[in-house]
Amino acid sequence: MMDNFDYIKAGSLAEAFKALSTKGARLLAGGTDLLGCARDGVFPVEKVVSISNIKELKGITARPDGGLRIGALTSLADIAADASLTRKYQALAQAAAAVGTPQIREQGTLGGNICQRPRCWYFRGDFLCLKKGGSVCYAVTGENQYHAIFGGSPCFFVHPSDAAVALAALQAQVRVAGPSGSRTVRMDNFFVGPGKSIDKENVLLPNEIVTEIHLPPASGEVKSVYRKIASRGSWDFALASVAAVLQLENGNIRTASLVLGGVAPYPWRIGAAEKLLAGKKLDKALAAAAGNEAVAGARPLGENGYKVDMVKGAVEEVLAAIM
Amino acid sequence: MSEFYDKLEESFRRSFEPAAPPDDQMQPWGGTRIVGKELPRVDAFERVSGKAQYTYDVILPEMVYGATLRCPHAHAMVKSIDTSAAENMPGVVAILTGKSPGADIPWYGGKPPQSKLFDPHCRYQGDEVAAVAAQTPYQAWDAVKAIKVEYEVLPFVIDEESALKADAPKIHEGGNAAGKPMSMRRGDVEKGFAEADVELEETFCTSVQIHANGEVHGSVIKWDGNKITIWDSTQGVYDACMISFARTMGLPYNNVRVICRYMGGGFGSKLEMGKYTVMAALLSRQAGRPVKMMLSREETMLCVGNRPNAKMTLKAGVKKDGTLTALQLTNVYTPGAYSAGASVGFLVQELYKCPNVMVTESGAYTNVGRARAFRAPGFPTGAWALEQMMDMLAEKLNMDPVEFRLKNFTDVSQTRKMPYSSAGLKDCLIEGAKKFGWKEAKAMPKGDSHIKRGFGMAAGLWMMGSGGPPYTAEVRMFADGGVTIKAGAMDIGTGTKTVACMVAAEELDVPLENIRIINADTALTPYASSSGGSMTLPGLVPAVRRGAWIVKRQIFEWAAGALAVPTDDLEIRGNSVVSRSNPDKKRTLEELFRSKGVMDVIGIGNREPNPANKAIMPFGAHFAEIEVNTQTGEVKVVRLVAANESGRVINRKTFECQVFGGMVMGLGYALTEKRVMDRRTGKMCNANLHDYKVPGALDVPVNHEVLPVDLQDNECNNVGCKGLGEPAHVPTAAAIANAVYDAIGVRPNNGPIDSRMILELLSKKKRG
Repeated sequence: MMDNFDYIKAGSLAEAFKALSTKGARLLAGGTDLLGCARDGVFPVEKVVSISNIKELKGITARPDGGLRIGALTSLADIAADASLTRKYQALAQAAAAVGTPQIREQGTLGGNICQRPRCWYFRGDFLCLKKGGSVCYAVTGENQYHAIFGGSPCFFVHPSDAAVALAALQAQVRVAGPSGSRTVRMDNFFVGPGKSIDKENVLLPNEIVTEIHLPPASGEVKSVYRKIASRGSWDFALASVAAVLQLENGNIRTASLVLGGVAPYPWRIGAAEKLLAGKKLDKALAAAAGNEAVAGARPLGENGYKVDMVKGAVEEVLAAIM
Repeated sequence: MSEFYDKLEESFRRSFEPAAPPDDQMQPWGGTRIVGKELPRVDAFERVSGKAQYTYDVILPEMVYGATLRCPHAHAMVKSIDTSAAENMPGVVAILTGKSPGADIPWYGGKPPQSKLFDPHCRYQGDEVAAVAAQTPYQAWDAVKAIKVEYEVLPFVIDEESALKADAPKIHEGGNAAGKPMSMRRGDVEKGFAEADVELEETFCTSVQIHANGEVHGSVIKWDGNKITIWDSTQGVYDACMISFARTMGLPYNNVRVICRYMGGGFGSKLEMGKYTVMAALLSRQAGRPVKMMLSREETMLCVGNRPNAKMTLKAGVKKDGTLTALQLTNVYTPGAYSAGASVGFLVQELYKCPNVMVTESGAYTNVGRARAFRAPGFPTGAWALEQMMDMLAEKLNMDPVEFRLKNFTDVSQTRKMPYSSAGLKDCLIEGAKKFGWKEAKAMPKGDSHIKRGFGMAAGLWMMGSGGPPYTAEVRMFADGGVTIKAGAMDIGTGTKTVACMVAAEELDVPLENIRIINADTALTPYASSSGGSMTLPGLVPAVRRGAWIVKRQIFEWAAGALAVPTDDLEIRGNSVVSRSNPDKKRTLEELFRSKGVMDVIGIGNREPNPANKAIMPFGAHFAEIEVNTQTGEVKVVRLVAANESGRVINRKTFECQVFGGMVMGLGYALTEKRVMDRRTGKMCNANLHDYKVPGALDVPVNHEVLPVDLQDNECNNVGCKGLGEPAHVPTAAAIANAVYDAIGVRPNNGPIDSRMILELLSKKKRG
């Protein structure tokens, strides 16, 4: 059913890096999906390296620049309920609240949420698909109703994270640590599309860990929203989602940051819609135009054309609600 | 399916003569003291505290665990099986293949048999190939992985239309037609359509729904010599397990003891013996140790049943005044890889007064998991077509949907040709509409928001739900007033134990706390048929009442002699029998029992036959209020109201639980639940509870009301109750579909109506 594995509870990051440097080692944070992946044979697990004891990776604190630092091990439930987030970075709190179930949000971490593996049923199921080393993406001509309409080729999974979509819209930065030091990566550059790398979804090396997320300071009049559409009210991934962060000035949009989830292998920034909105006064017609702009480059597969309408409708609805 | 129930229903009228002839001294209850109340279950504490022992919880000394190797291909021939590596795996104690002694067992019926316990010809992803028993479940699964099988992979077919083409891969020797097409004719449909002022024809499709029980399927086996005890997660310790098992293994019934005191849901999928039970028994015999074999969730999604899909073309004719003149239904379905009931036509024949009806149904075998009975087999599916068609006709005639249905109401069963014992459809329609505020809802302005509100309703009935003999309850009263009921009846989660205790307490005039029930153990409790067809409550509780009444009559006879009063002057008060006319005249139960030298009195209550000249069916009408977000395709069910006529309500709380559960299941059928098969491989994409979308708490409306309609049916049986579990589920999905139409103005012919379906319908509408 599942291979045996070693288990190490790292007392420090250094210990964790060392333990992760062997083949088949897997990082354990909240653990909401590692067991499932191991049981379903999604990837081999020879060693489990838990970082749950590393306390400095938990918690939300203010940064000197007025922004926020969120430890990668902070639970999604804490993020959903944090007052500083709900006030200034509502999109992230809403995205965290939209994840899974109360149990998953209590146990699941922010770092784990942005690093989770795809939920494509061919990747998770008993199919030797392209992403697992096979020769074909079954989704291209198969049951692709939940698959990507943007940036898919050659593998058409959609990134399952809610939080990553909000973080991208909020222009967050990801702190990554490894044995040779730390680096900061813009959220927009954190993910790697299937065209560049088929077997992984982000820039992390096997022995690197996401340690914290930085949110830039929010000043002036900012509206931020995360809206998720799923088949069920809980325990479901997005069919499509929208994170919108609008900087307003004298009733006009100064800048807009718009990112889609559930429709591409990584959070999908819709630059054309952002440009369209910048400097204008938001009204119904503009919201509808932005919706149209959002799906201009969509390339739906056989069964997921509805996502084009869904994205268009969701973008329009989100913007109209801000109005 | 329909034929099976027809025969069964007929047998309820004639086959059984109870040992104690019905005594007309037993009158219908007037007012009741306990029956009808809203009471918690008698085993509520055990259930919520985890003390209740389900099959999954059974642990025996020396017990080992079974696991099954299943074919990973949609269609394949097993060329060879090499178990040598598995035999040497840690913990492995037994390995079973088709070549093992005693394992060459025919399966799935038919002449010649359609298949075997381990058939080298694997006809769907999940067909059984071999089994292993080991010290731990993990070792068993590891050993299963270590068995090397050489398959010849065959071309497959997963949809019924392709399966019937001449060049389709052959699934069975005799071809892919699943039995002969079923045809039923009443009156003359040609004539009926000629008389019609309006004629409509529409094709409706439904998807495959999976049972998704809480407790997975499985058995625990313990041999003692040639006697065996089976703890099975089953809907019938007798028919669904003991009898099938004994016949399969060539054992006397008496040697097979089956126990299932608590059961975590079956919905029809546990009405037949599982291969796992026989495999576990063979492994246990080989290992000389008890074996527990519970399926994994994935296995239950693939291998132990589903509600089959349907492609229903329904043509209807109606006069201007709303009178139905003809209904014609053609249905094509697939039962999967092996034969199973899948017809949907009965509701079309029965629900409304219509002189001319024709139903034709045919099926084709495909390389997918086989169907099994699923909560009102064929009825929610038939309602999906019929009740949407009724709304289409009503719209065409400019009639209110409720009025239109009332216009075609009948109190005479259209198929049985006899009056109903109680014809609840009319009252369900009227009372339900009143409770829902139907007229007001339909008059509400639509508004110009992109979120559209819709109101819909649908009606239904269930062909069974009468219950009937044989059903036996042993009611035993101790000298201190304590009562034990023994009955083979199942409690599959519906509250059978609770209602049986309430009925005994009512009849014996003792507190509910005095009653204890022992059920579903073939070594201890009298025979009962399986819990299917909504027949458990109306099968069992009349037998319980009769048994309790026999006990009471015996005690009253003793008291009448001792007190010199007539028996009909007596009643039980506390622990005494008291004269109503002179309360000073009384004897304690203890005194009466001791005066006869006994410590207990036993009454054997047999279920009496059903009336010969009445059709007994439960009815319902469900009403839905929904919201459709026309920009995102989201559908939200805001409110559900159910009016269900199932005779006397025994327990208001379990009644509501049943109806609400039925509506939730209908909500899933309407909106989210669908088996998805991969066309390229013939394998199931969503064989897990994340990708197969059963509704969760947030998808179910907080605002729901359950309205029992009681027409005081004193003819159906001595308690006046009919079945509820299935009629509670029949109309819901169709009511939601009708509400979706009301909201968006496009008919959702195909289910489930997920966001994708909504957006595709709206996009089609926009394009014209």
